[in-house]
Amino acid sequence: MEMFLQSLVSGVLTGTLYAMIAVGLTIVFGVMRIINMAHGEMVMLGMFGAYWSYSLLHLDPFLSLLLWMPAMFAFGMVVYRFLLRKIIPGGELNSLLYTAGLSLLIANLALLLWTGDYRNINLSYGMLPARPFGISVSVPLAIAFALAMVITTLLSLFLSRTDTGRAIRATAQNPEAAALMGIEVGRIDMITFGLGTALAGASGVLLAPSLYLYPTVGEILIVKCFVIVVLGGLGSIPGAIAGGVLLGLVESLGSVYISVAYKDGIGFVLFLLVLLFRPKGLFGVGRS
Amino acid sequence: MPKFALPGLLVAVFIAAPLLSTHSFVHHLLIMVLFSTLLGLSWNLLGGFAGQVSFGHSAFLGVGAYTTLLFYLKLGLSPWLGLVAGGALAMVVAVPIGLICFRLRGPYFSLATLAVAEIIRLVALNWEELTAGPQGLIITHLPALSLFGQTVNWESKLPFYYLIALLALLGMGLTHLVARSRLGAYLLAVREDLESAEAVGIDTVLTRVLALALSAMLVGLAGGFYGLYFRYIDPDAVFSVALSVEMVFIAVVGGIATTAGPIVGAIVLVSISETFRSQFQSGHLIFYGLFMMLVIRYLPDGIWGRVRLALKQVRER
Repeated sequence: MEMFLQSLVSGVLTGTLYAMIAVGLTIVFGVMRIINMAHGEMVMLGMFGAYWSYSLLHLDPFLSLLLWMPAMFAFGMVVYRFLLRKIIPGGELNSLLYTAGLSLLIANLALLLWTGDYRNINLSYGMLPARPFGISVSVPLAIAFALAMVITTLLSLFLSRTDTGRAIRATAQNPEAAALMGIEVGRIDMITFGLGTALAGASGVLLAPSLYLYPTVGEILIVKCFVIVVLGGLGSIPGAIAGGVLLGLVESLGSVYISVAYKDGIGFVLFLLVLLFRPKGLFGVGRS
Repeated sequence: MPKFALPGLLVAVFIAAPLLSTHSFVHHLLIMVLFSTLLGLSWNLLGGFAGQVSFGHSAFLGVGAYTTLLFYLKLGLSPWLGLVAGGALAMVVAVPIGLICFRLRGPYFSLATLAVAEIIRLVALNWEELTAGPQGLIITHLPALSLFGQTVNWESKLPFYYLIALLALLGMGLTHLVARSRLGAYLLAVREDLESAEAVGIDTVLTRVLALALSAMLVGLAGGFYGLYFRYIDPDAVFSVALSVEMVFIAVVGGIATTAGPIVGAIVLVSISETFRSQFQSGHLIFYGLFMMLVIRYLPDGIWGRVRLALKQVRER
């Protein structure tokens, strides 16, 4: 029973962070209809950002979020404006291949700059014993979880309460109609891509103290992200959150009760089953 | 131009190319170019003609490689039969995969192929009784074989060169045939507009499964060749996402839905990887990414596709 609760808790904690990455991917898809294959690399950049500001400037990784989240937002807008904008009208498959190229480019530039060594951030409070109700919880992961909740809540408030947020949702629903209502779709696309990138970067920063970081970590993360957004329905934010937590739970329970070796396999099988039988996601809210 | 001039010329070039140099590194490069050509040709059958972008083609390469090596190591079957068996088995495996994945469209199909390839890689890593898991399989020596009264020297690169040249020609021949056949027309129809293709009575699932099976057969053969040439395979090498992406690269850079494009793509790929591999490891991947982006942005028909267009314009003038 204790083991069950333990894996339940760690599943929810990691799942929430997965969810945050997936939300970034899904809002970009919702508005622009592109699947950003380089999304995992944005997470990687966030992780390395946190690593460098910690090891060079001794900035606490969670505090460095204030630096890296805006930086990644700007980076995303630049990538959209100068690299992606001309590609998107060429169709879904072109942008899929293009972002796959971008992902190779970023990951291997990082490999060249920072080598493939595994690095980690050793926080002074990283090893503190925290055992609420007899379940051991890693402190950095718990902080990351709390911040991820805050950021995701702020995002949904932004999308529902502000004019720009409403414009983003309108563009996701129908770009032509949105343009007719006087929304500058190009600007909204750029902001959305920036937001998606900022979310990816922020989750990278939050994950950095809990994971080993290396330049090709994005590969694994993006595949997990695909699983999540398909589970939740592509384009849907609540779906991505639910899918993230679900995948976190499946992975942590699966590695305890089924097999560690096939932990990732379970996710993929689930992914295929959902794609086949519920292509709009488990909750039927995505676009197929 | 007589009908057989171009293919005849190609065969002559393929036969003569390795004779220009006795350097075994040159032979190795030629082998890698033709091996990559075969990969690109096969991906192109499905991704180019039918517009179904697969990110999981290494699954079939791995199936071919493992079949060839396991038949030889465990059953003592001649590797040459094993090679054919590898192609055949890849084709068989492709049918259920196709029936599942082709229920999905566009990017969803791409994601599904990625997942299928990862599942197969995980199975290969963990099914140790059959595949020896992460240790991989090694061939120490190849059986003696005589051809035209001479024993084939497996330490030389030449026999491998002619083997892969034969396979690449097979791939080009098959692509050419498909492109001019009814199947080719169906595939184009599927690529351009799936609904309309269905509306005019094309069985789009069958068409795509057929294209996938042919494509898988070619990659399976290439996989068998890979196993015999490098004499070592392991799941992370032959089932890797990186290999699948290389196949995409070759076809896209060379020219989607062309017969000769993959040769161009393969030459670009091998030149990039050989130039930069020695300077800094994995540096070539930076340029793969960069090239892919540049080609999609500025030459959406690929290098060969653009050349072909230019030639056509010159002829019409």
